[in-house]
Amino acid sequence: MLRLIVVRLLAAVPVLFVVSLISFGLTLLVPGDIAAEMAGPSANRMEVEQIRTQLGLNQPPLERMLHWYGGLLQGDLGRSILLNQSVGSAILERLPVTLSLAGIALLMAALVGIPLGLLAAAKAHKWQDQAAMGGALMGLSLPDFWLGLLLIWVLAVKLQWLPSGGWIPFSDDPVGWLRSIAMPAGVLALNQMGPLARMTRSAALEVSNSDFIRTARAKGLAEPRVFARHVLSAAAVPILTVAGISFGIALGGALVIEQVFSLPGVGRLVIGAVLRRDWPVIQGGLLLTAFVFVAVNLIVDLLYLWVDPRLREAR
Amino acid sequence: MKMPALLKRRSFAIGLVLVGAVAFCALFADLLAPFDPVKNNFRYRLGEPNDIYLLGTDRFGRDVLSRILHGARVSLRIGLMVVIASGLIGGVVGLVAGWWPKADAWLMRVMDGLMAFPGILLAIALAVTLGPSEMTAVVALTVAYSPRTARVMRGAVLVARAQDYVEAARAVGAKTGRILRKHIIPATMAPLMVQQTYIFAVAILAEAVLSFVGVGPPPPRPSLGAIIADGRDTMIEAPWIALSPGVAIAMIVLGLNLLGDGLRDALDPRMRNTVR
Repeated sequence: MLRLIVVRLLAAVPVLFVVSLISFGLTLLVPGDIAAEMAGPSANRMEVEQIRTQLGLNQPPLERMLHWYGGLLQGDLGRSILLNQSVGSAILERLPVTLSLAGIALLMAALVGIPLGLLAAAKAHKWQDQAAMGGALMGLSLPDFWLGLLLIWVLAVKLQWLPSGGWIPFSDDPVGWLRSIAMPAGVLALNQMGPLARMTRSAALEVSNSDFIRTARAKGLAEPRVFARHVLSAAAVPILTVAGISFGIALGGALVIEQVFSLPGVGRLVIGAVLRRDWPVIQGGLLLTAFVFVAVNLIVDLLYLWVDPRLREAR
Repeated sequence: MKMPALLKRRSFAIGLVLVGAVAFCALFADLLAPFDPVKNNFRYRLGEPNDIYLLGTDRFGRDVLSRILHGARVSLRIGLMVVIASGLIGGVVGLVAGWWPKADAWLMRVMDGLMAFPGILLAIALAVTLGPSEMTAVVALTVAYSPRTARVMRGAVLVARAQDYVEAARAVGAKTGRILRKHIIPATMAPLMVQQTYIFAVAILAEAVLSFVGVGPPPPRPSLGAIIADGRDTMIEAPWIALSPGVAIAMIVLGLNLLGDGLRDALDPRMRNTVR
């Protein structure tokens, strides 16, 4: 068991190395003068040179890379020129907003999507199946940012049920927090519900043809219990896989949806940095979101061992 | 068996109609659009939909319907180019990784690394790195999404190379190039086509996001996402500007997803009763 965990952890190392290489390499691709672009058209030569030195752009690329990795190993992602703050703390400050948004969205998607998929599998090829799968497909086909605008227009502007944006921390006012997160998380959940429901359906259908399910039915187990106890636990691994991938997509979606609902998360920070060419923040944002994704998928990997005892024996 | 197969054909048909309708409108936008999409009419700004302007006008008095027709063309063009580029790049990477175990570990680590980023964030970062334009949108989306194609291709190659007929071809002394051309690649075409249909849908959604956050192709020829971004500030006075292009995107994406599902069912009969 412990050995398996170590093996999985080690497998993440080359992926993280590639991730860091891409995050760093991005600035090498920028055509033109990064420092001049960041300083803006009104800056004089002194200011441009100052930014150049600050970013270490006057050094050759290899040296810059070594310096960047040196900082990285000490947990230093560089400084944001525009915020005059360290990139690491700027991102960590905003990470809770983004993570809670993506996490709650995924939770909502799972709570609706998995039962929906089971229902569709139980009623395969009947109208319930068609309706559930049609809804799932519709959900994953709508542009999330557009759906956000639509909901703001209906629920905030017309009906005035929910605030149109802004963030209230949970510790300040739990009800206000719920109201501020309901719409953005709902939009993301509608997107993520589709893949989860579809995978749950197909995995459940595959499992429900197997011998042990027939046995469960033969011994007279009620159909809901067959599904809840036997089908769901046997179909858990592919569902978890999709949930892990969905988290990555929800994370990306959260970054975008933060723009729509004016939420002070990593997405606002990074996309703001993109528009103002604040490279250290862009690099740090890429790196940290990828790290979060890799970490979540490591957890998913370990969850496999928990939900499927057969995998504990393997290797 | 008969009835469900028929119903599946229906979903494929709906997909075909949706995609076909939008593609037709986009292709003949010049003929179908009632107005010039960039022509201002300052006497009718933020105008409500009426008989002349079927979907209303934006803050410069430009006809929203005409802009959507032309915007659909930009969105579809970018999507199609991403499908072709990611099909070629992902296809080759997947083929090499699936056939040569030595290259496999290296190539797939790079693909895993690329897939560790939220695709949309990587695309946004690349688009701004290379400077916003239609071409960079294609490049950025291709880099972000071809790893998915590579994975599917690699899986299909691994399945194909384990078949007896490949073994037989090798036994009679066929060269690698011939085996790949005659036996492996044809066997991977079905899953690849299904995957690229889904990539088409994802690329159109992602391009809309690029344009929405302001790193898509620059004006005056906007994609659908850019029109939504444009209408965002006037959501309260003129919601039609932002809302109607979203319906167009949803039509294309839903249609492509239906097509992908239909293709998958048609090309792989084993999947018919499981995945949809």
